[in-house]
Amino acid sequence: MLSDNRIKAPVQDGVVNQLVQASKVQDWDPSAMLDNLSFLEQKIHQLQDLVHLIIGRKGQVLGRPDELVVQQQQLVTADLTSIIVQLISTAGSLLPSGKHTLPAATPSLEQSGQFGGVVFPSAQGPLNDGFQPQNAGGSKVSGLPNSVDISRKNGNEQNHIIEEHELKDEEDVEEGESLIPGTYEILQLEKEEILAPHTHFCTICGKGFKRDANLRMHMRGHGDEYKTPGALAKPNKESGSEPTIIKRYSCPYTGCKRNKDHKKFQPLKTILCVKNHYKRTHCDKSYICSRCNTKKFSVIADLKTHEKHCGKDKWLCSCGTTFSRKDKLFGHIALFQGHTPAIPLEEAKAPAGPSDQGDGNQSTNKVGSMNFNFSSNVSSESEVQSSTDIKGSIDDPAGYFSPLSFDTCNFGGFHEFPRPPFDDSESSLAFLLSGSCNYPQKSED
Amino acid sequence: MSPFQSNKNILSLTEDILVRIYEILVSESDRKSFRLVCRDFHRIDSLTRKHLRVLRIEFLPTLLHKCPRLQSLDLSACPRIEDGVVSLLLSRVGPGSNSLSLGNWTRGLKRLVLSRATGLRFSGLEMLARSCPFLESVDVSYCCGIGDREAAALSSAVGLRELKMDKCLRLTDVGLAKIAVGCLKLEKLSLKWCMEITDLGVDLLCKKCVDLKYLDVSYLKVTNESLRSIASLLKLEVLGLMVCPLIDDVGLQFIEHGCPSLKVIDVSRCEGLSSSGLIFVVRGHGDLLELNAGYCLPELSTALLHQIKNLKHLEVIRIDGARISESSFQVISANCKSLVEIGLSKCVGVTNMGVMRLVSGCINLRVLNLTCCRSITDAAISAIADSCRNLVCLKLESCSMITEKGLFQLASFCLLLEEIDLTDCCGVNDRGLEYLSKCSELSCLKLGLCANISDKGLSYISSNCKKIHELDLYRCRIGDDGLDALSTGCKKLRKLNLSYCNEVSDRGLGYIGRLEELSDLEMRALHKITGVGLEAVVAGCKRLADLDMKHCEKVDDSGFLSLSYYSRNLRQINLSYCAISDTALCMVMGNLTRLQEAKLVHLRNVTVEGFELALGACCERVKKVKLLATLRFVLSSEILETLHARGDNHRSWCTAAQLTCCLILRLYYERQPLSCHAHGNPPSTEHRQRTVEMAKFPHYLSSANFFTIGRFIDGRPILVACNQPQVH
Repeated sequence: MLSDNRIKAPVQDGVVNQLVQASKVQDWDPSAMLDNLSFLEQKIHQLQDLVHLIIGRKGQVLGRPDELVVQQQQLVTADLTSIIVQLISTAGSLLPSGKHTLPAATPSLEQSGQFGGVVFPSAQGPLNDGFQPQNAGGSKVSGLPNSVDISRKNGNEQNHIIEEHELKDEEDVEEGESLIPGTYEILQLEKEEILAPHTHFCTICGKGFKRDANLRMHMRGHGDEYKTPGALAKPNKESGSEPTIIKRYSCPYTGCKRNKDHKKFQPLKTILCVKNHYKRTHCDKSYICSRCNTKKFSVIADLKTHEKHCGKDKWLCSCGTTFSRKDKLFGHIALFQGHTPAIPLEEAKAPAGPSDQGDGNQSTNKVGSMNFNFSSNVSSESEVQSSTDIKGSIDDPAGYFSPLSFDTCNFGGFHEFPRPPFDDSESSLAFLLSGSCNYPQKSED
Repeated sequence: MSPFQSNKNILSLTEDILVRIYEILVSESDRKSFRLVCRDFHRIDSLTRKHLRVLRIEFLPTLLHKCPRLQSLDLSACPRIEDGVVSLLLSRVGPGSNSLSLGNWTRGLKRLVLSRATGLRFSGLEMLARSCPFLESVDVSYCCGIGDREAAALSSAVGLRELKMDKCLRLTDVGLAKIAVGCLKLEKLSLKWCMEITDLGVDLLCKKCVDLKYLDVSYLKVTNESLRSIASLLKLEVLGLMVCPLIDDVGLQFIEHGCPSLKVIDVSRCEGLSSSGLIFVVRGHGDLLELNAGYCLPELSTALLHQIKNLKHLEVIRIDGARISESSFQVISANCKSLVEIGLSKCVGVTNMGVMRLVSGCINLRVLNLTCCRSITDAAISAIADSCRNLVCLKLESCSMITEKGLFQLASFCLLLEEIDLTDCCGVNDRGLEYLSKCSELSCLKLGLCANISDKGLSYISSNCKKIHELDLYRCRIGDDGLDALSTGCKKLRKLNLSYCNEVSDRGLGYIGRLEELSDLEMRALHKITGVGLEAVVAGCKRLADLDMKHCEKVDDSGFLSLSYYSRNLRQINLSYCAISDTALCMVMGNLTRLQEAKLVHLRNVTVEGFELALGACCERVKKVKLLATLRFVLSSEILETLHARGDNHRSWCTAAQLTCCLILRLYYERQPLSCHAHGNPPSTEHRQRTVEMAKFPHYLSSANFFTIGRFIDGRPILVACNQPQVH
């Protein structure tokens, strides 16, 4: 959470503007409000009766099982929920006129302090525009697990929140784009804005979201007026007809090529680009890969991407650089004088002890499955790989093997997998193990 | 001057003079006589000795100490040389009481032959490479276990110019890269049969070792990309591309524009090539000296011929298996005047007229291969004899129309003839041999399947051709008298084939025993010989290294016992179908300490216990054993394991590659899924038969090797479902 109140303001304001537009259709109606209030009153009375009833019965049903109690509790919860929802939606209709007072009445008010920011006029328009490419980017990631997290809220209401997965739409993407300077508007966000975890905030409860779409989903809980197609639609769809000025972003870091004052300024296309660029280039790399303990990232998505491939870079140069592909390694060696491919230490010893091949394999299999169990906790990707294929599990670093199983592990077991002739099982595995653990060799007997 | 005084004078010669004298001696036998004179002479021999080929590893430390000026050491004949032996040899303190510093022998060593030293691993190689500062040439061919790590060890010999790595099956691109980066001065590299090498490795090699003059990538699965890289080698003179099925004409197009120094190219048996590819090569390299294109062309096209015409310096051309027209011979003979060798083996269309035209121009011809050119007759031979007076080698196998007339002409003019192959030439008779005996330089004579020759003909040869060292009498009607003449005449005989000469008896073998130089004797299916004959042979031929007596069923234990007593130099033996007993087999296998390879199939008098004992006695040394496959299930696991472990560090206990290949071939052709219990649970009894035999080859079952072997079969890889045991 951020302590500075003002940071949120521009973004929040953009959302507010948009909401204003959405709610313009149904203006505040005092009679409707009265209806709602009377309905609430009625509902509260009903609830009161119910609770009284429960209290009255309590003495009689002592011996009964908890079943009834549970049922009653559910009933009360349902009623209460309904009341709360009604209350919120009623309050919501008051929003346009009293936005500064309302948040105090909302149930979840952790972020109330963030309201009441200063409006940055320059950011107002662009931010509305800024959502669109972001959303467009969202559809781009269809390849990724676009997992819809169904989170229950208030029992009968479900909020569909698109799980936040930072897009990797690089700054490089629009590298080839050649916009003539001056034909587009340059916007520059402040460092604090860029580093803020959320960009979209609920104007009612103050909850922050990374995506506008998620916010709109969330808004449905605040009343029927947010459930209309107009309110749920992408805010820019309707304004798409009028020609908008192209918006591009500048990095606030002076001296950066992405900064508008730079001689060869190259603008960033979207807010997300700005964020990723700023974090990658001008921030500390605080996310460290837990597998290799060497690679550091500033964007968590980069770490996740790396983790998918970590440990697969089995082509190692004598200089310590690793490569995922042999041809890349050979290209590297051809380029630099004196560099040679590194040969894992264990490789030569690995073929020893062929007599215990049979037993060794069994234990290898065990290790493989064990590894699967371990790795599934860590990342879902490796789970998919290793569930059927032991080879897949080899790719996981040694750290995931049970320390106890080291001495029973035997390379020979992997021989049975037909693999491309150059993928030498011993070497690849031995390499993986060589760095991270001291591999005890089975003596030939 | 009294004899005593003169004797003293010789002994009082100074070392310098003795060394001078020694240096004049060229032939090995003269040098041997020299060093046997006395201790001083022997010492001179040791001191000046530059080359050493060691046969018994136990003498190696002493020999190395005595020969300080050694430049070349050949350990390929040592039964087992291992890392431990190497470390012992390199240790500063010698064995036993005499604390000599042994390490010195490596100082001047330039050449090291470790071919077939299957026990050597990276630690040994590394020690050798580090301790020999001037090492220039290393031969580790047929060390099947050599892989990347061993290559890395070799790469520490930075001065290396020559490296032979044929059939280092475990060598991959990584190992090659190690060598390429470490040995930048490399000039000669042979990578035959290193099946794991790919374009990447070859590319890196060509980028790093720009001084390469000789490169052999035969039998590799390299593609045109490799040829693109190779084309950048400016100094390359010799390029071997035998049996590279993935290269085609496009690849040779790169060669056309590259390799400006190319002199020799071998593209034989490259299936992907056509004559247009060869046209590229020939067009790009007018200075080509040798073109080997055997079995890769269906015919010698006129377009190609037109290009070959321009090769004024061409010395060797081999176009085995191609169809060739008479007019082509005319063109070659008119233009390639400097031809020294022509290979026309199994060519279709080779006629008398063609040969006549060919030899009319190519008068410098020294080697002519006309194997299976069945239509040529004496007329062609006469023309050859008439024109090519310098002929040294003539191969006429299966040219059955040749008679004594042709041989008469040949012997009259080609007096330099050293080698002639008349296998399966039924027209050759005793008279023909009489004529042929005029060629006194003859050293290699092959008369296999010549049914019309007898002892008389052999006696002509024996009396005149004193230099013969190889004689093939396979299925000839030769008797004991012929062998009598042979043993008196051809004292230099080293290799003799008497298989199926059924008339040979113990008396004949007695004569064979007089041939002291004989090292290689094949006498299959001699039904008359007994133990007495064998004893005579082994007692006489002390140098015998290779003995094949398959189907000599009358030889009894007395013969085998004397074999085990005398033939201490024997390296290979084939005793299949012999009536050897348990005891004799144990004696043979136990006593013959230099034995490396034994074929012991269908020994009907040998029990399982006999095999156990015999194999137990020899498994320390032997590299290859051929046994009946069924024996594998009855022999005790201890012996199998010992053989497995001792026979070769990681290869299996039986006849390594071939056997595995056979097994796989068999399974392949039977279209049975291979069930690889080899690594999994022990197989249930009903599947044991088929699966256990694979289990003995766990390292061949490693997928990499498996694919390697798989490629040998029709060029198609065998895909084996190994994940789950399949049972049929």
